[in-house]
Amino acid sequence: MKPINGATVGGRVVRVALAGNPNAGKTSLFNALTGAHHKVGNYPGVTVEKLEGSRFRGETEYRFIDLPGIYSLTAYSIDEVVARDFLLDERPDLIVDVLDSTNLERNLFLCLQFQELGIPVVGALNMSDEAEAKGVRIDDRALSSLLGLRMVRTVGTKGSGVDGLLDAIDAAVGEGAPALKSIHYGEELESHIDPLQTSLALDAAFSSRYPSRWLAVKLIEKDENAFSRLSEHEAGAGIAAEAREASAWLERHFGKDAEIIVSEQRYAYIHGAVRESVKLVKKPSFSVTEAVDDVIMNRFLAIPVFILVLWGVFKLTFSLGAYPQGWLESFFAWLGGAFASALPEGLVRSVLVDGIIAGVGSVFSFVPLIVILFLLLSVLEDLGYMSRAAFATDKALHAFGLHGQSVFPMMLGFGCSVPAIMAARTLKSRRDRIVTILVIPFMSCGAKLPVYVLLAAAFFPRNPTGAVMGIYAIGVVLSLLVALVFKRTILRGDPTPFVMELPPYRAPTLSGVLWHVWEKTASYLKKMGTVIMAASILVWAITTFPAYEPTAAESATLDGAALAELSMEHSAAGAIGKFIEPVFRPIGFDWKLSVATITGFAAKEVIVSTLGILYSAPESDEGGGGRLSAALRADPDWSPLLAFVLMLFTLTIPPCLAAMATIKAELGWKWLGFEFLFLLSVGWLLCFAVFQIGGALGAGVGT
Amino acid sequence: MVIAEAPAGASFRVVRVMTGKEVGKRLADMGFTEGAEGAVVRGGFLRGPFQIRIRGYDLLIRRSEAAEIEVEPIGDWSAARDAARNRRGHWVNGHGCDGRGGDE
Ligand SMILES: Nc1nc2c(ncn2[C@@H]2O[C@H](COP(=O)(O)OP(=O)(O)OP(=O)(O)O)[C@@H](O)[C@H]2O)c(=O)[nH]1
Ligand SMILES: [Mg+2]
Repeated sequence: MKPINGATVGGRVVRVALAGNPNAGKTSLFNALTGAHHKVGNYPGVTVEKLEGSRFRGETEYRFIDLPGIYSLTAYSIDEVVARDFLLDERPDLIVDVLDSTNLERNLFLCLQFQELGIPVVGALNMSDEAEAKGVRIDDRALSSLLGLRMVRTVGTKGSGVDGLLDAIDAAVGEGAPALKSIHYGEELESHIDPLQTSLALDAAFSSRYPSRWLAVKLIEKDENAFSRLSEHEAGAGIAAEAREASAWLERHFGKDAEIIVSEQRYAYIHGAVRESVKLVKKPSFSVTEAVDDVIMNRFLAIPVFILVLWGVFKLTFSLGAYPQGWLESFFAWLGGAFASALPEGLVRSVLVDGIIAGVGSVFSFVPLIVILFLLLSVLEDLGYMSRAAFATDKALHAFGLHGQSVFPMMLGFGCSVPAIMAARTLKSRRDRIVTILVIPFMSCGAKLPVYVLLAAAFFPRNPTGAVMGIYAIGVVLSLLVALVFKRTILRGDPTPFVMELPPYRAPTLSGVLWHVWEKTASYLKKMGTVIMAASILVWAITTFPAYEPTAAESATLDGAALAELSMEHSAAGAIGKFIEPVFRPIGFDWKLSVATITGFAAKEVIVSTLGILYSAPESDEGGGGRLSAALRADPDWSPLLAFVLMLFTLTIPPCLAAMATIKAELGWKWLGFEFLFLLSVGWLLCFAVFQIGGALGAGVGT
Repeated sequence: MVIAEAPAGASFRVVRVMTGKEVGKRLADMGFTEGAEGAVVRGGFLRGPFQIRIRGYDLLIRRSEAAEIEVEPIGDWSAARDAARNRRGHWVNGHGCDGRGGDE
């Protein structure tokens, strides 16, 4: 047996993996154990990468690793592979199997497989509060002696049972590596496992890495990953052939697939153990989840409800967000005025008032909107609505070449593309995953919101909210059409299975929601102080230098605003803008918009801050909210059509650098390059068509 | 009979999962093994996914997966079918099993 690695005398380190079924509460427990605040959500597949954190008690450092959820050690999707490979390749000192107590049979099915790995296991009977409420009485003494492991009741969301869990970890680690535990699979199976196990054990180095009995069972299950690991064995090829023969014999004998026979044996064993230790002491009574689902998942209502929920999220965002947005706009207008009158004329005043306040200030007022949108999306997720959304949309999405499980990443995409792209890891087929990732940019992320809201307020004053929702809807329709095109061309593929757990509704935890919102706010404030501040100063600099000296005739004939315009045109920004203008002219953008669009590649909000600087009429008469909107509306070059084209362009151009880096990490350079060029050309062509056709139809005039 | 043929509200006992490989293994790992009892809670609009209750929890599967799970009816499926028709897919407590799958 392997020694407990990492464990040293005095100041010892114990590496503990938190593993278990999806949505069993692993991350909640991890947060309670380590004081971290990682994302928790009532959806199977929230955590898609491993997270680490420590807890100190006495002399011991417990290094916890939170893993993505798995149903079995046979892994299919990327997140499952992450969990399996960690357990096999990095062999933690101990596994805490986080079990959903309301659903013990399926959860313990996995526990058996952990025990076969020869790593000490402690069971956390999590969600014990829910089990109690449902009248599920668990005799944990009986259960732990039946299964031969320590069991501790926990409530991940409240952090109860944490000390007991640490005690159990200490005790289990203190005992050292356990004797290999495995169930008896029945005579026929055992007679084939046995010889395989013996052959595997002949290579000592190999069998110290992979427990022989566990691997023998895995081979009989025809697990591809097990076969590929076999290549490290000195007699790998021979064993592989032996294993294939064994599976074939069993399949003939039982008349079913070998991998299914093994699962049935495990379930039979677990079912027996659960029957002896778990009692239902209450008649199943009225269930909120069932009552709500009778409406929300009603076959005729599910899709209308889904659309209503999306509509409600945005409606609420705009109506709630309008208040803080107004306050912040007034505040920045006042701040600009205060600085302008307090400071002497000069470069310092200029960079502060015309650069930073005009730029950052124009974006800042949108932060509350973005935060509220995030809040609502995370409440939906915590409630458990996202799996209902998958139920409602699977059929339709499937027709467009997407998958029911694409809905979760796509809805996260309304917040931020980065976690959305990561969340696509839960899709089992590579094809579905690629298509989902490629269409996520069409789900307008929070950073695009300021651009939409600004332009809608300026040019669609009769129904700005409707205009913004319209552009969101256009994004969704585009994503479906694009997915359909991919399905018909470069990404054909067979239909892939859809098998997904449906968790009950749960009340969002206040601390979880607040923390998530605070984190989002903090990261936006940071973005304001870094990327957007830097971009504002840069744009200010290129619009201010080189300074232009108006001729005597110009000074005599032109007023202040026209002079400012003239000097901007002769600045570096003017030169750059005019140089690239030809590319954008066909879609209606002048040099100013061209500059704004180019700077927007860094982050979409920068389009707004750049417009804020380019259109900062310093001695603006209006003051207060909507200054930039008013300036845009007053400019004769602008029209509702142009505003719409700019919204469309913002929707379709490639996502921000962080999102592109994530696409590269998930899919590689080739797909990133494809996506970049694809979005650029689709966006430009679409804008071209809309601008030219709209112009021809005379759609420039009002709404 | 297979689950895909079961009306909303029908209870069943699993006979076998007829496919191996990824889907079959996944279904077996999630509790569809010989003798396990379950119920169809509802089917989706226009042949959308099924909501199935098995071993005390609920899951969603497509019709194509439901067509791979051979089951035997528990109770009277045609009564459940009539009830479902009257109720337009409304599923009411009491039709399902208690979710404890049986392997005996
Ligand atoms: N009532 C109750 N709810 C819990 C408990 N532990 C977690 N939850 C809730 O269960 C849901 C899932 O929790 P997570 O911690 O995200 O579960 P996970 O195992 O990390 O899930 P994945 O990362 O998706 O595999 C969340 O809605 C939690 O608030 C608990 O002990 N009792
Ligand atoms: Mg998690």
